[in-house]
Amino acid sequence: MSSATQEQTETKEATASLTQANSWKGLLIQPIVLLVILGVMFWWMSTADLTETERITLNASYLSTLAWEHLKLTIISAVIVLVTAIPVGILLTRGPFRKLTTPVMALANIGQAAPPVGLIVLFAFWLSFGTTAAIVTLVVYAFLPVLKNTMVGLEAVDKRTIEAARGMGMSPGMVLWKVELPLAVPVMLAGIRTALVLLVGTATLATFINGGGLGLLITTGVNLALDRVLIFGSLLVAVFALAVDWIARVIETAVTPKGL
Amino acid sequence: MGSYLSDRWPQILSASWQHFSLVAQCLLLATVIAIFIAALCYRSKTLSGVANSVSAVGLTIPSFALLGLMIAPLGFGVAPAVVVLTFYCLLPILRNALVGLAGVDRSLIEAARGIGMSSMETFFKVELPMAWPVILAGMRVSAQMTMGVAAISAYVLGPGLGSFIFSGLSRLGGANSFESVVTAVVAVVVIALILDGLLLLLGRLTISRGIRA
Amino acid sequence: MPNSTADHNSSTGNKVAFNPSMTEITGATILLENVTKSYGAKKAAVNQLTLEIPAGKTVMFVGPSGCGKTTTLKMINRLIEPTSGRIVINGEDVTTMNGDELRRRIGYVIQAGGLLPHLTVGANVGLVPKMLKWDKQRIADRTDELLELVSLDPEIYRDRYPKELSGGQQQRVGVARALAADPPVLLMDEPFGAVDPITRQRLQEELIHVQAELHKTIVFVTHDFDEAVKLGDWIVIFNEGGKIEQYGTPEQILAHPANEFVEDFIGSGAGLKQLGLTRVRDVDIRQAPAFTVGEDAATAVAHMNEAGVLRAIVLDSRDRPIGWVTRRQLERMTTVGAAHARQFPVVSDSATLDDALDTMLVAGSSDAAVTGSRGAYQGIITVQTVIKAIDHISADPEEVSTPVGHNTGAIPKLATGENGVISYAMDEEETATEVENDSAPWAEHSDPAETHRGSERA
Repeated sequence: MSSATQEQTETKEATASLTQANSWKGLLIQPIVLLVILGVMFWWMSTADLTETERITLNASYLSTLAWEHLKLTIISAVIVLVTAIPVGILLTRGPFRKLTTPVMALANIGQAAPPVGLIVLFAFWLSFGTTAAIVTLVVYAFLPVLKNTMVGLEAVDKRTIEAARGMGMSPGMVLWKVELPLAVPVMLAGIRTALVLLVGTATLATFINGGGLGLLITTGVNLALDRVLIFGSLLVAVFALAVDWIARVIETAVTPKGL
Repeated sequence: MGSYLSDRWPQILSASWQHFSLVAQCLLLATVIAIFIAALCYRSKTLSGVANSVSAVGLTIPSFALLGLMIAPLGFGVAPAVVVLTFYCLLPILRNALVGLAGVDRSLIEAARGIGMSSMETFFKVELPMAWPVILAGMRVSAQMTMGVAAISAYVLGPGLGSFIFSGLSRLGGANSFESVVTAVVAVVVIALILDGLLLLLGRLTISRGIRA
Repeated sequence: MPNSTADHNSSTGNKVAFNPSMTEITGATILLENVTKSYGAKKAAVNQLTLEIPAGKTVMFVGPSGCGKTTTLKMINRLIEPTSGRIVINGEDVTTMNGDELRRRIGYVIQAGGLLPHLTVGANVGLVPKMLKWDKQRIADRTDELLELVSLDPEIYRDRYPKELSGGQQQRVGVARALAADPPVLLMDEPFGAVDPITRQRLQEELIHVQAELHKTIVFVTHDFDEAVKLGDWIVIFNEGGKIEQYGTPEQILAHPANEFVEDFIGSGAGLKQLGLTRVRDVDIRQAPAFTVGEDAATAVAHMNEAGVLRAIVLDSRDRPIGWVTRRQLERMTTVGAAHARQFPVVSDSATLDDALDTMLVAGSSDAAVTGSRGAYQGIITVQTVIKAIDHISADPEEVSTPVGHNTGAIPKLATGENGVISYAMDEEETATEVENDSAPWAEHSDPAETHRGSERA
């Protein structure tokens, strides 16, 4: 082994560990900033001279109820999206089902192009107002990014790697589980993160159909002309979304196979 | 449904036009701003990193929350709608513009400078045309995304098809409430497709055949 | 140049003489029987191919891209299922067995190793043993053993990821992984195509050494004919549709390209490649008149007239050639003198023919004096001799039974070869039509390419 190659290998390694360290450092800044913002907001809430109507919404227990509702909407629909979109994505990349790709993608694209606020109202008409209609809308809306990235991730796996695995005697199932899915994970995770961000944002619209969630703070603020509730609520929603995004990124970094 | 459509055809058309023109104008404005910011940032790794982070954070913030935040300083109507839409249009374009400009081959720029182009000329005659396909891709993403945001902006009394949704919602179960919402949803999808088609056409017309994929 | 010559000799030395009593073959015989692969209505990618791959040998598949060499390779481990025909490994028909189980018994190496990027080097090497349900300790031991075999320190490389290795190291791991379960057969699909030339040469030499130790049956696809000559015991030259143009040893193919296609494929360097295989002492050295300094010139001229030559070699008192003189020069002398002798290229009889040729070309001469021990004059070698020597050497057939390979649809039957190894031979009546008189003596040994041509015309 020549020393040049050795050197090259070492530099490669060094950069690899460097980028890894960088990504973790980057991940640390976001929660600190968010906590500071949140701290300032709650410090303001506890010290500000709030009116009676403002106090009804701006108190810790009510806010945490709304946040929990919001989180539930997000998580439930995220889980439904994951357990439906990923298998569909896998299926659509398997031989006989490939020809279904075009219609399924077209459908998912239309689901994405439709305005979420219109979709949620339509589903509410159909399924009656409440959480169920909200969740259905969220699932329809977040289905595409997960589906698309699952397919893109699987298709992007080097065909030669798959062939090498087949050549070693792995069955198609083993190749899927031990090679294709692990290698598709980064792309799939990016799609899942996109979906989560969409879900958190779209879940704010659930308030229009009595689906609960933090959107209620905004509609309350607008309807009752309470600027402070409006601003506080909007900020809280933003912080909440960024927090979910951060958690998704932590998971992304942790779950991505080390060799990639 | 048929009678609903024929009865309200002028209103639907005008709301659709409003919706389209809101998105298209914000898109145009956002493109100019995004290219301007990208031009300031793309030569510096740090600035590009900051711009990218801001764009990522911005895209994470729910549009409804931002709309809410804008009501306090700007009141109701067109103003908050334009600000929010332009903001969301800006982010994907900015991101793509940075990628596109950073991706221009250094030797091309050197060649341009070598034949005596000024830094400004190099940017407009070499770098921007090379990055343009990527920027245009960002515009398509922005256009699709803000179609939905524009619908929400009707909540703050912004223009466009969103008003059909909210009026349907407020007259829940009432006459034509369902038709009103369906009409709006379908119309938004249709004008989204039209705008996307126009952007594709723009690409055909403006991307040099020499670099077309 | 001297380096590559040395390599060549050592590698051919390893592969030519096969002695079953000294080396244990761990490889298996592979037979493709009338195998066809077609995709839909299109022209078959591989058409009616019958090919025997002898146990423990390295067989190189070469040919232009799209000739079906890779398809043929992948049909052996059934990554590509043959449309028709049989694949027999060590007498066992594997055409219908479970493909995954078959592949676990066959090593497979592809370009850049085909390593799984999300697994460590150790895990990559241990993949097949793990699938074969070996226990952990055995897998760990085997992994380390194999990494050492391919010159990678297990302590350093076991826990690294593929991306942390250079291209050459990745390729080594790929070979180690293919050998993990000690398969009798190793299939290599252009494995060294993606590395730089220096690394490639090193990897090739390592493969030669590994093969000298293990004696696997290696089927190796390459588009590089030099690589085929360097590594192969046998070379199959494919043309479009998996048509075998020639099947023979590197020496046979270089010396007697079966047809124009093979000639073109070998390219212009064929003769030179061949020259590195032989030494000057192995070829006919011509005798030319030689006179020692001080001899009587008139006698010398008489000798030359008798022999009908115009030039003679001048030797010093110790019989060492110092140059040559013309008859006309001698006629003007009384005794043979060194003064008029013109410089003359000299080669040792242990030099290779390409060294000899090189010496002549550099000196701008069409002949050179050959010296034996202590530089004593032996005779002269000419460019003509070198060229004739190529024919002579290759005309000397090796004492190995030639494997079967053709596209005629005829299926060979089992026979016991002269070295006691079971192999396949063609039916009597088939053999009768095979032999084609090309005035090349080795053609009688049922050369596969000749077989093919004979049957084509029949």
